[in-house]
Amino acid sequence: MKILVTVKRVPDPNASIKVKPDGTGIITDNLKYVVNPFDEIAIEEALRLKEKSGGAEVVLVSVGSKTAQEQLRTGLAMGADRAILVVAEQELDSLAVARIFHKLVQDEKADLVLLGKQAIDDDANQTGQMLAALLGWPQATFASKTDSLESEAEKSGTPGIQISGGAAKVVREVDGGLETLELPVPAVITVDLRLNVPRYASLPGIMKARKKELKELAIDSLGVDVKPKLKILRLDPPPKRQAGRKVGSVQELVQALHNEAKVI
Amino acid sequence: MHDDISAAWRSFDLHAPTDEHRLLAETLQTFVAQEVEPQAAQYNREERFNLALFRRAGDLGLLGLTVSESDGGAGLDATAAVLVHEALSAADPGFCLAYLAHAVLFVHNFARNGSAAQKERVLSKAISGEWIGGMCMTEPEAGTDVLGMRSTAVRQGDHYILNGRKMFITNGAIDDRTTGDVFLVYAKTDSKISTFLVEKGFSGFSLGQRLHDKLGVRASMTAELVFDNCVVPVSNLIGSEGESSKHMMRNLEIERLTLAGMSLGIALRCLEVMVGYSNERKTFGVPIREHGQIQRHIAESYSEFRAARCYVYDVARRLDLSSFGNRVDADGAKLFAARIAKEIADRAIQVLGGYGYMGEYVVERLWRDAKLIEIGGGTVEAHHKNITKDLCRAPELIRR
Repeated sequence: MKILVTVKRVPDPNASIKVKPDGTGIITDNLKYVVNPFDEIAIEEALRLKEKSGGAEVVLVSVGSKTAQEQLRTGLAMGADRAILVVAEQELDSLAVARIFHKLVQDEKADLVLLGKQAIDDDANQTGQMLAALLGWPQATFASKTDSLESEAEKSGTPGIQISGGAAKVVREVDGGLETLELPVPAVITVDLRLNVPRYASLPGIMKARKKELKELAIDSLGVDVKPKLKILRLDPPPKRQAGRKVGSVQELVQALHNEAKVI
Repeated sequence: MHDDISAAWRSFDLHAPTDEHRLLAETLQTFVAQEVEPQAAQYNREERFNLALFRRAGDLGLLGLTVSESDGGAGLDATAAVLVHEALSAADPGFCLAYLAHAVLFVHNFARNGSAAQKERVLSKAISGEWIGGMCMTEPEAGTDVLGMRSTAVRQGDHYILNGRKMFITNGAIDDRTTGDVFLVYAKTDSKISTFLVEKGFSGFSLGQRLHDKLGVRASMTAELVFDNCVVPVSNLIGSEGESSKHMMRNLEIERLTLAGMSLGIALRCLEVMVGYSNERKTFGVPIREHGQIQRHIAESYSEFRAARCYVYDVARRLDLSSFGNRVDADGAKLFAARIAKEIADRAIQVLGGYGYMGEYVVERLWRDAKLIEIGGGTVEAHHKNITKDLCRAPELIRR
């Protein structure tokens, strides 16, 4: 089985993000970048599926600037087998990225594609779905599991997605509960936060990553239409949180909640 | 062309020059936050060694950090070693000292100086963390004055008879009753010093006492070890008789740099605590960061920390672990980092006032830990002597 896992280079979720005064983007000076946390969960799940099946190959794919090599190295140090970076310095929308992945899935003859349910930079949550449509494959989004992240099954590294007899069983997070789906493989699965706790790279893993293949492809060499269909007009920071206020009595509190906050 | 050169130079990261360093730093960040930090206060308060955490460090490959890959290590350099000590000490200098005594004083030294047969038998157990190691140089009446040591080893047939006592041995014990597993022990054969591999359970080798009530680094165990007609097989002699000064020289620079790395971690954490607190705490109606006296504590601490960090990592960058002879800067880096870390910890307590004096706010523990680096692995006075001697002998070092 060959598992393709997508990896996006995104700003560190712990960094404070500032929007440029003209609203054309965010200020990237001194910004630290990491693997999109949902993609990290996808890598972890792929590695668990590989460890359980014994024979899978885990291939990481990324689209972005040359510096995205760093994030692919992180995934290789976690244990993935090799990586492909499609080098693109321009802005790409979700459809363009899905088309590039479509091409890579065909070229690699992958059996399963795992993606983070969304990237934490633009939160678009559409690449996985678009990819499934382009491939004509079944899809399961927001993969989670019934065991908690404190359970023994989690600690022993049991995969949450079960694959056997040409079918994948996926527990999805839906409003108010969990839904279990079965879908034939090949398939596209996007993963949610509570699927697993990703491992971190051990030193032997880090040293091995140095020797693993990281292939770079020029975006033009793929013959894929990446012309943007979507244009970002402007970005605005969220409104500043108002300072709290102390009230003198319960009566005053109830009045304020009713008249000002309008929550009761 | 000129632009390319300056762009590459500007983006060069002294603290993480390669992908491997960057990945190591990422792993450490997670490991320290999830596993080292949560246990630090308790183990230091109770003066206990966290064996399970030590073995976790083994699982991650940290115990064989600087051992070559052909010997089963990670084959990393002095920069990586400093990075690990800085990261661990930002949370738990006590645990870090136990790590240093094992990974640098024992494993690194042994991997450089041991024979293939000795390494074959011992190294993989030490790298996995199954065996806990240490180094025995200091004696009750001989510390800086190494040549004044009294321990002796006399050859009798196929073994040596080792006699003497060793003092302040980190990892000498792992609790009140049990010695560590394996030690490099220095003792005199005739007038010269030789190095022996002494293992737990050797006849005549015992725990004199586990030393309690240290000022700081309390999560590391310190012991007095006794060698009373201890029987050491000749096959456990490291190198040849009288070779210890070479073994000590080979290890000295990395020992001092990693101790300096510990000081950096202490300074870094104290600065974070100080800055965080000065943003939150108000006096006279304004955050205390508005007061000039607090500003002086923060600004001086920050600039000293940055200066120390550059110095330590620059010496680490230059250090070729297979060579030796860079003593002046290993001593200099430790001398400076130790002092500024102690002063920054002191300022952190001052900024936090009464809270700083309480254990819960961490800087109290770091303040006690910081002092060690002015004593262990070479006293401040030894560094003064070495640096002056080296500079007076080779004044061109100043302009280099």
